[in-house]
Amino acid sequence: MKRRLELWLAISVFVLLLAACGGGGEQPTETTESKPTESGAPAGPVTTVDPATAATLTGKVSFDGEKPKPRQIRMDAEASCASLHKEPVYAEEVVLNDDKTLQHVFVYVKEGLGDKTFATPSETVVLDQKGCVYTPHMIGVQVGQTVKILNSDPTTHNIHPVPANNREWNTSMSPGGSPLERTFPREEVMIPVKCNVHPWMKSYIGVLKHPFFAVTGKGGTFEIKGLPPGEYTIEAWHEKLGATTQKVTLAAKDSKAIDFTLKAAS
Amino acid sequence: MPEKTSPVEDKDPVVTQSLSGLLLLSSLLLMLSLVWAVWDEIYGQRPWKSIQKRFSQRYTAFLNKAKPRQAAVEKSVRQSEEYRKLEQEILDKEKEIAPKLKEIDQETIDVIGPRLTAITDPFALARSEIQAVTYRVEVASSQSAKDSLGRQIEKLKARPVQLTLPTGKGHSEKLRMNFSQLEQEFNRLQQRKAELAAVRGGLVKPVSELRAKLDAFVKDRMPGLTERQIEGLANKMRLFNVDIKQIHVKSVDLVDRCETCHLGIREPITLTKADMGGEGAFTSHPTKALLQIHDPERFGCTPCHNGNGTATTSVKKAHGRYKHWLWPLYDRENAEAGCHQCHTTDLVLDNASVLNVGKEIFRGRGCVGCHRYEGFDTEAESLAASRQAIRKLEMDRKEHEKNAEFTGKAADAASDNKEAQRLYAQADALRQTVSNIDHQMEQLDIQSRSLLREQKKVGPSLKEVRVKMRKEWIPVWLEDPHAYRPMTRMPSFRLDKEQREAIAAYIWQSGVQGQLPAQKPGDATRGKELFETRGCLGCHAVGEGANAVGGSFAANLSRVGEKDHYDYLVRWIHNPRERTRPFCTHEKRDIGPEDYAKKGLPFVFDLEHTTCPNDGHELQVQQMTVMPNLRLTFEESQDIASYLVTLKKPGASYPAAGYLDDPQLKPKGLALVRHFGCAGCHEISGLEEEGRIGTELTKEGSKPIERLDFALLTHDAKHEGWYTHKGFFENKLKDPAIYDKGKAKAPLEKLRMPNFRLAKEEVVAVTTFLLGSVDSTLPGHYFYNPKDQRKDIRDGWWLVNKYNCMGCHQVRVGQKSVLSGLARYQDPDWKEQLPPTLIGQGARVDPNWLARFLENPAMSTTDVNRNGVRSYLKVRMPTFSFSNEEIRKIVRFFDALSAQAQPYMPTKLQPLTDQEREMARGLFTSKAAPCLKCHATGDPAHDRNATAPNFLLAKERLKPGWTARWMIDPAMMAPGTSMPSGLFRREGGRWVFAGPVPATFGGYQKDHADLLVRYMFQFTPEEQRRLAGRGPASPAKVAMR
Repeated sequence: MKRRLELWLAISVFVLLLAACGGGGEQPTETTESKPTESGAPAGPVTTVDPATAATLTGKVSFDGEKPKPRQIRMDAEASCASLHKEPVYAEEVVLNDDKTLQHVFVYVKEGLGDKTFATPSETVVLDQKGCVYTPHMIGVQVGQTVKILNSDPTTHNIHPVPANNREWNTSMSPGGSPLERTFPREEVMIPVKCNVHPWMKSYIGVLKHPFFAVTGKGGTFEIKGLPPGEYTIEAWHEKLGATTQKVTLAAKDSKAIDFTLKAAS
Repeated sequence: MPEKTSPVEDKDPVVTQSLSGLLLLSSLLLMLSLVWAVWDEIYGQRPWKSIQKRFSQRYTAFLNKAKPRQAAVEKSVRQSEEYRKLEQEILDKEKEIAPKLKEIDQETIDVIGPRLTAITDPFALARSEIQAVTYRVEVASSQSAKDSLGRQIEKLKARPVQLTLPTGKGHSEKLRMNFSQLEQEFNRLQQRKAELAAVRGGLVKPVSELRAKLDAFVKDRMPGLTERQIEGLANKMRLFNVDIKQIHVKSVDLVDRCETCHLGIREPITLTKADMGGEGAFTSHPTKALLQIHDPERFGCTPCHNGNGTATTSVKKAHGRYKHWLWPLYDRENAEAGCHQCHTTDLVLDNASVLNVGKEIFRGRGCVGCHRYEGFDTEAESLAASRQAIRKLEMDRKEHEKNAEFTGKAADAASDNKEAQRLYAQADALRQTVSNIDHQMEQLDIQSRSLLREQKKVGPSLKEVRVKMRKEWIPVWLEDPHAYRPMTRMPSFRLDKEQREAIAAYIWQSGVQGQLPAQKPGDATRGKELFETRGCLGCHAVGEGANAVGGSFAANLSRVGEKDHYDYLVRWIHNPRERTRPFCTHEKRDIGPEDYAKKGLPFVFDLEHTTCPNDGHELQVQQMTVMPNLRLTFEESQDIASYLVTLKKPGASYPAAGYLDDPQLKPKGLALVRHFGCAGCHEISGLEEEGRIGTELTKEGSKPIERLDFALLTHDAKHEGWYTHKGFFENKLKDPAIYDKGKAKAPLEKLRMPNFRLAKEEVVAVTTFLLGSVDSTLPGHYFYNPKDQRKDIRDGWWLVNKYNCMGCHQVRVGQKSVLSGLARYQDPDWKEQLPPTLIGQGARVDPNWLARFLENPAMSTTDVNRNGVRSYLKVRMPTFSFSNEEIRKIVRFFDALSAQAQPYMPTKLQPLTDQEREMARGLFTSKAAPCLKCHATGDPAHDRNATAPNFLLAKERLKPGWTARWMIDPAMMAPGTSMPSGLFRREGGRWVFAGPVPATFGGYQKDHADLLVRYMFQFTPEEQRRLAGRGPASPAKVAMR
């Protein structure tokens, strides 16, 4: 008798659960659903942001100080790469646009999202090794998102991320070999990536639990879309000039612009 | 007339007095005491009964809770893709073999089995009949009887037997068989049965193997026990008996009943206090590994933990925490004291981090300068012993020489030839004995030379003060060393002003006179960079308190600029072992240029010139510091010294100290220096062979408590509960003057031990060490006295700590070097500048090479301002000027850690064929294998950016097996290494290069990693030049695989 009761209970709970999941897609506001993460560990509910309320954050990052002299890279040791460059190659450390805005600044939401978790995007982010330079110089990915590493050079590279909070690895990639697909299981801003064979090669990977980040480009600008309304701390991180933060409050459908200034290292 | 009164009725005690009340009372008392006696017998004396019941309940509850949890984990493991794949594989396999199994089983069950059953009886009957007759043949006495019985056997054999044999599927056949037919059929059936069983076994084997793999899969992935294992434990609890649990080790007459209450201690599951309802007594042993090494059935509990193992009547009794038990249970924080009893001579033990700290403090802070402790700082004693032996031999020699001369003269004057011959022979014998003494003396001198190199002092030499520092600093330092340098090893002595002045005056006036060459000023900026990158920070720190950057092994240099002279610092940095004057251990004085001049010798003394010009005995030619020589140029030393002299605290001032030159203070100073035992840690003129002033501490932990002088605090200590060894040690270490409290003593009668300002955990560590320093009653075989390589490991740790190898290197798994923790080395480009890990060093390098390297890390006698192997590292492997014995110990240490056989017999490698050589050359220079991009080649322009050693070193330096394993997965041995992984992949039982290989590799079937190792191990400078000329192969030559 008791058994039967339990069985009925179990079945009704199951049916209720099914109904809840089925209806999830049609909910108008932020919804959550249970989804295991990449590592298989149970994660909190996944947040989806309603496009109708989402806010956008834009802005630009400028440089304050005397323009540093770019450091030319000598690729004499790797003729096959040197020959790929007609112009001299400079280290992408402090890349300034003409209007003194900065490229390669990682702008991201540092605080304010609370415990929200976000689905891992299925699209891969590509990091290429071309002409003994990493392209792009800086990327951002989500935890568990696949980074696809290519070697387009006629020489062997070794790709060696040196993280503090993730697992370190160092893998040889021969010319013409198949691309390497890797993920980072933990949040970290930023993971330096280097090639020990070509010590001038340097890249940075930012790993976040959420999709709200951007890397400044030619105009020194960034855009972070789809933010749920809220109060946020935004950080602008630069490999040589350090990091700076700003607080911003976003209402539903807000579109705000904030600018950062990074000072030359003294 | 007296009135007649009725007689007073005498009170009849029987009637009027009753004892019933008393009786009732006593019977009640009797009753009560009976009840009490019964209660005490059952519960009072057996508190463990209720404890055991409680354990049983809580453990069962815990298991019941753990079971579904573990079951869920197990389920998730069973649901993993890999598990399912394995399971599916098993199912497929079972399906595959099922028809065949069915066939076999059918034949066995249907035909062979019943047929055998049917035939066995008739066959056995027939056989026994024949055997019976055969026996009679054997015992028959006449030939005729034998013949007739023989005929009977023939008849029996020929007699047909009627029987029905099944043919399967319920059918059967009726047969008539004679004996040989029966036998044949029986044997056939038996054989067939065995055949079928064998075939069945062969078919089932892969399945059972897979099943075992599946079980292992679950076990390997389960954190903790499986559901079934927990069920087993729960069953055990169901059958739990409430009784005394004891360990009895007959050979040592040890009875430990600790497990009567500590029932969970050996449980295979981890039980925390929280798991067991907050009852700490029920936890499992916190370090299970220790129980595996020290099986409780053999070691018991109390030999490690102390306490009264036999007591069961109360917790207090069992823990030995009462007046009449001498060895109470060690407190949790001091638990590792128990290790030391048997591991007396181990400096470093796995699983004893507190004890390790305690021993290291005792060794490194200079405790041993005042307190003798067996096994610590043995060099001085050995040196004294060998010096004494030399003296004795010298006397013997003189005696023998004299005798030889007299005997010879007597022989010359002998009256007859026979007597002359006898005496000449005697004289010869005496001279030969003298030659033997010479051999012995030579060995002792060699030994002394070794010991003189090994002998170190905790503090700097005070003979050098005059050339080293400004004199005003000395009294300030003596007043409170911790005020000037908070983390210093120098303890604070309780000296009054007068005492300080006298001591300072003696130190100053006894210092050696000398003039150091004036040094050119250096570049402080460059010096700072050198200081921070050459490895100085592995031992020294700069910055105080939380701002300190660097190691704490040697002095914190934050204020060094306030005291030391620039010229001296330059000399010290250039070669810290350099002395102003050598010390003659025989004459017991520092000798100077005048002594050399007398013999017409130049004033040259160093590790190559170590004999005294006066008597030919060994000199101490080095400063007795562990600081090694970094082989810097004078220019670099000037730069670093220029930086160091800038390290000052702003505004620090030192009062004038003219009295340091007052000769009247000197004798008083000497007495005080002697009284306070300064020479225990410092080299001081006139006190080079001072004895230790403190108590020997080797057995201090088992000293009777009455002999520990609590002085006027005895009452308080007893009252407050710290009248124990632990209480005595802790309070003494915290405040060494504590037992002077309340006493009126003359200044020189006061306790002398200075205050080391030990941190709380340091006090605990040293206390642990002292508590464990006992006169053990255990039989010898309990002591850790390994004769195998474990002894080498033990000896090695003394040197690893002595020279602070771990400041720069990783020596044990899990340990981080000081350098690797510095902010600078977190940068990826600096990370590859870290010194190599020494994990697996014994497996990596040829021990003979390592010995040479340790002796001369520059691997050159002319070009010394470099690293011999990793020339690209900014950090420098210094020259420690080890003695031969020390080198031997270090090499053996690394060999033992990697379980390498000794002596090392290099593996013979197969020579390369011409084709293989050509292939290897091709691969080495191909774009796919950029070996020569990172590894040094000897071309200075290239080597500036190299990050790995030159292949030319491989042959004499490396071991081939290690080299192959390294190439295949370097990150496994050295996480974070610059050398990439994934250069090779596994293909059909061999390693092949993962990238495109030169066309010459076509059809090559051997291991590629092995090919490269063999190529490396025959690498010559000529080959290297040849490769350099070749350059990377053009892409056209590279075939894609």
